[in-house]
Amino acid sequence: MSIALNRRQLLRGFAGIGGALAAVSTSAEATEEHPAHPVAPADAIAMLFDNTICTGCRACMPACNEANGLPADSLMSGGIWDMPSDLNSKTKNIIKVYEEPGEPGYAFVKKQCMHCLDPACVSGCPFDALKKNEWGAVTWTGSLCIGCRYCEVACPFDVPKFEWDHWNPKVVKCEFCFDQRLTKGQEPACTAVCPTGAVIFGKRTDLLAKAKERIVDSPSKYFEQRVYGEHEAGGTQVLYLSNVAFEKIGLPKLASTSLAHYATKVTSVMYKWLTGPILMAGVLGFAIKHNWDRHEAERSEREKKTGFPDQL
Amino acid sequence: MRTRTPPSRDTAGTTLINHWQRGVPVSHERVFTPTLIFFGVLALIGFTLAFIRFVSPLGPFSGMNDAYAWGIWKTFNVMTLTALGSGPLALGIAAWVFNRQKLHVVMRAALVSGFLFYATGLIALGFDVGRPWNFYSAILPWRWNAESAMLEISICMPLYCALFLSFEILPLVLERFYYTGSEKTRAMLVRVSPYLRRMYPFMIIGAYVIPLMHQSSLGGLLLLAGTKINPLWQSPCMPLLYLLAAGLCGIGFVIFLLLITCFRYSRTLDVGVLIELGNLLSCACLLFLAVRFVDLAWRGQLKLAFSLNRMSYLLFIETALITIPAVVLRFKAPRETPRTLLKMATLACLGGTLYRFIPTTIAFNPARNASYFPSLPEVIMTLGYISLGIVGFGLAVKFFAVLPGDDHNWNHIFQPMGRIAWPTKWHSQWQKDARKPKGETPSLVSQ
Repeated sequence: MSIALNRRQLLRGFAGIGGALAAVSTSAEATEEHPAHPVAPADAIAMLFDNTICTGCRACMPACNEANGLPADSLMSGGIWDMPSDLNSKTKNIIKVYEEPGEPGYAFVKKQCMHCLDPACVSGCPFDALKKNEWGAVTWTGSLCIGCRYCEVACPFDVPKFEWDHWNPKVVKCEFCFDQRLTKGQEPACTAVCPTGAVIFGKRTDLLAKAKERIVDSPSKYFEQRVYGEHEAGGTQVLYLSNVAFEKIGLPKLASTSLAHYATKVTSVMYKWLTGPILMAGVLGFAIKHNWDRHEAERSEREKKTGFPDQL
Repeated sequence: MRTRTPPSRDTAGTTLINHWQRGVPVSHERVFTPTLIFFGVLALIGFTLAFIRFVSPLGPFSGMNDAYAWGIWKTFNVMTLTALGSGPLALGIAAWVFNRQKLHVVMRAALVSGFLFYATGLIALGFDVGRPWNFYSAILPWRWNAESAMLEISICMPLYCALFLSFEILPLVLERFYYTGSEKTRAMLVRVSPYLRRMYPFMIIGAYVIPLMHQSSLGGLLLLAGTKINPLWQSPCMPLLYLLAAGLCGIGFVIFLLLITCFRYSRTLDVGVLIELGNLLSCACLLFLAVRFVDLAWRGQLKLAFSLNRMSYLLFIETALITIPAVVLRFKAPRETPRTLLKMATLACLGGTLYRFIPTTIAFNPARNASYFPSLPEVIMTLGYISLGIVGFGLAVKFFAVLPGDDHNWNHIFQPMGRIAWPTKWHSQWQKDARKPKGETPSLVSQ
């Protein structure tokens, strides 16, 4: 079988094959950016929240508001005090309470951005408005954000909140007090103000070790004898110890691979150096050019016959 | 009811085609019919609301909230309706790559409807983003996050619509200028035409590669949503499935559109082309179903599919809507019957759009107790965008040679753009001149 090829078609064919080979050979590299199980860098910071110590005083909430310049959300309190029902565009950090029906006692939980090791929001943000900074803090930059709200869809912890009722809407979430305090050498406002030490600040490696020590010291106190956030969604920089099931206090059950890894597994290979599109263009172009040339040959005959330009 | 017409050679002596030989404008109709005016008014109301939304916050205006951050503008107008607008992609690849010559004659109708779906979808997107003044980052490559599906869509969709689709539509616009313009215009067009023709194959390569990318990226968007989407839909195959759904919706919608408009404007049908389209639709549906079920089986979700809860019923409905056309159109008789073809195309479009819509809202369950239902302004704006598309198409078929028709009827006269609204003496005289000769067979669909 012989195919009449001209030089351009042959070159295109080679480009396509070369692209395919490149794609196959680089597939191993492709997962470097989003490994299935991300490894925290050595200087990664973290917060450890232990709900067996938290008394629910909520001092962390006004401290956070003050450090971040946020107004009190007093809608539900009739304008009196800060009483948000959930994280929202005025609340970067909230204490929620869980009560087991029929049992005494409460379980408090501090909800804020988990500062994942491989955040889904960062992976999805089209113009890098959400970025993972030094030490691992995930921050939002207003001048880059287009308000597409993909971060809200992507976050497995439902953290980023959009300012729905403002004409210049921001995406509001805990930023580890990065610009406000970390870069000035201070610890985050919530960890600094906590009177009982329920939430503490430190290096991730140190806090993980500390948490595991607490589990070893009193294993029956802690649910499943493990730290939430060690592996969830690939690992987060906010770690939780809880005496009740994590799901009951609103920490979702998640796999240990990062969402960004799942989402970019295939596309990172196909689009590396635009291999996939170029290969596709080569293959399609080969066929289209061939058919087009024949169509053009027929067209000039048609036009001669009818005297009118051919429709395209 | 069978409508088999014997094929014939057309006067130009080319391939054996029935009644559809080239695009012919609809000339025996008033331009502003009551239907068009109705949709025009709806579009006007929708756009008034859209401009109000521009100066008001998104929150009170729409039903969107933090749990359901994407409302029907993104999930319906963009993610779902652009599937119906993938006719140029699906038919174009079939016609230019796989050499299905019969489809060239319906490409124009597919192109205009595809362009309108994309344009209205992009307009909807423009009014949906919360901080549109930062969108100029799209032309600054150093700001791009190359792995984001959202980036890929925000760049490729406007590029495709503004550059490639517009270029493919250019010939039919220029054709009008050729026939209605002065000698100078005609001379200029004759001079420019070879350059356009030389560019054309390269532009259509782009016009097929780019939608392959962004239609699959529309599915890729949902990969990051992870477990928020029910496992019956959440799959690494979603980009491929979204692309296949776009293909089948594109073909289905073109069939639907052609049959409806030919019936409406009393045009004869070309059974040869319809058989081809029906065959393509059936193959596209079968391919989609194959990938869908292999994917479900591979991920071990078949048991969940048969668990008889709300989600599995939804899966059944979506599958049935696509399976029926896939099976029925494998047989020769239904493919030749316009009425059956119309029904099957409608089912396929419904099934494909349902597949694309479900994971974004119905099967989307964020961790909290939250719900979403579009607010009234949101719904009116959505309908407004769609109405704009309908008005656009209604005007396009009358002013340009878009709908396929018989060649010997058309004396290359186009409706004048001015003095068109109300029947004047001049207008009715022109109508008489341009009317088809007596004895013309009525549309076969109505029999």
